[in-house]
Amino acid sequence: MQPAEKITADPVRSRPSSGRLSGRRWDATDLSLVAVFAALIAALAILPGIPMGPLGVPITLQTLGVMLAGIVLGPARGTAAVLLYLVAGLIGLPVFSGFSGGFGVLAGPSAGYLVAFPLAALVAGLLAVVVLRRQRFRVPLLFLACLSASLVTIHPLGIAGLMVNAGLPLPEAVAVDAVYLPGDVLKNLLAAVIAVSVHRAFPRLLAGRAARD
Amino acid sequence: MRGFGSTMGLYEPGHGFLYRTPLPVKAAGSLACAGVVLAWRSPSVTGVALLLTLAVLMVGAHRSPARILRMLLPAAPVLVILALYQVWLQGWAAAFGVVGGIIACLLAARALTLTTPVQDILDGVVRLAGPFRVLGAQPERFALALSVMLRSIPYLAGLFVDVRDAAKARGLDRDPRVAVTPLVIGAVAYAHRTGEALAARGLGDHDDGSGDDDIDGVDIDGGDGDIDGGGAGSGDGSRVRT
Repeated sequence: MQPAEKITADPVRSRPSSGRLSGRRWDATDLSLVAVFAALIAALAILPGIPMGPLGVPITLQTLGVMLAGIVLGPARGTAAVLLYLVAGLIGLPVFSGFSGGFGVLAGPSAGYLVAFPLAALVAGLLAVVVLRRQRFRVPLLFLACLSASLVTIHPLGIAGLMVNAGLPLPEAVAVDAVYLPGDVLKNLLAAVIAVSVHRAFPRLLAGRAARD
Repeated sequence: MRGFGSTMGLYEPGHGFLYRTPLPVKAAGSLACAGVVLAWRSPSVTGVALLLTLAVLMVGAHRSPARILRMLLPAAPVLVILALYQVWLQGWAAAFGVVGGIIACLLAARALTLTTPVQDILDGVVRLAGPFRVLGAQPERFALALSVMLRSIPYLAGLFVDVRDAAKARGLDRDPRVAVTPLVIGAVAYAHRTGEALAARGLGDHDDGSGDDDIDGVDIDGGDGDIDGGGAGSGDGSRVRT
């Protein structure tokens, strides 16, 4: 009897804390979702990229993992997963693409992108919660959520990192950053398609929570 | 992903005073190097930092210059492009200041990860999180999450290879949707299994320790019999009972 009543009581109680980052405490499944998604970002970053399109130009999938963490797990757990991934990389585990890990990357030209990742997951996750309240147009809306998250966080901070660490003037930094834009658009589209499949396979992952709000 | 275990962590056993230096000292040293290089960013400061890190690596960890150069290999493409760009844009001195500074920071960080076993670094980070306990941080759960993450990487890497092989067998390996979607779904399923395994062992669930003033003890999917007893969260307890 008690568990049943507890379930019915849940929606009422979870309402005030659902919007906060650390309001609801995580159980073991939340914790392992965070840890496994941190591992997923690492796996996508260190594995050789997938040849894409007719030319077969390989792209690395690190940012795909970051976006997926945000829109699959939601803002709080997604940000935590990205932060965990960053911590693991900064203490020297070889989980960053290119640079092999260690906090030396913070001095490298790509530091701005790394710093932006948790913010990107946060923004994408917040937008995804809104998108997943509705059933229709999920792929295009999630794509827009990812795209705006990366345009608001990853690219500005990446450009700032290029200016500070690599000593590039603003126009050059923007030009270097712009090279990543087409791949980014493709990865965001991919993230949206995958996330919709994942939410279909595990409806309670995030959509169940969003509906309860 | 065979062989990942050997690349996991960058520790290489050896001799020298760096191996005997306590971790906090090494961490402070390499952070100081990064701070100095970034704050001044002049060729002379960079030169000193570069010489210093090279000397420490050669004397403190008995590494030959060739092996030190090999440490920079993964970063080499980016560094070369950046160097060419800086020379063309701002001249030799500025290029040395920027690229040399990055190399000095990379080597300083590498000196730490080279001479400290991964487990020691993990312990150090968890200890570092200790003071944040007052803010509601839980270093033990942080450590647990880190170790679950490290265990999951080889599994996911293997799953990635399997999924790609399966896609290739169907001639779909150019379609990233087919290559990645099963990986992510597999990852979520794996996380659920791991979570259940952790819960079965009583790990990972929040313990009602300190700092529960801002938390109302909400249990997300009920049904797991983890009804918090005692008076922790009074409103919570009364609702369950009535």
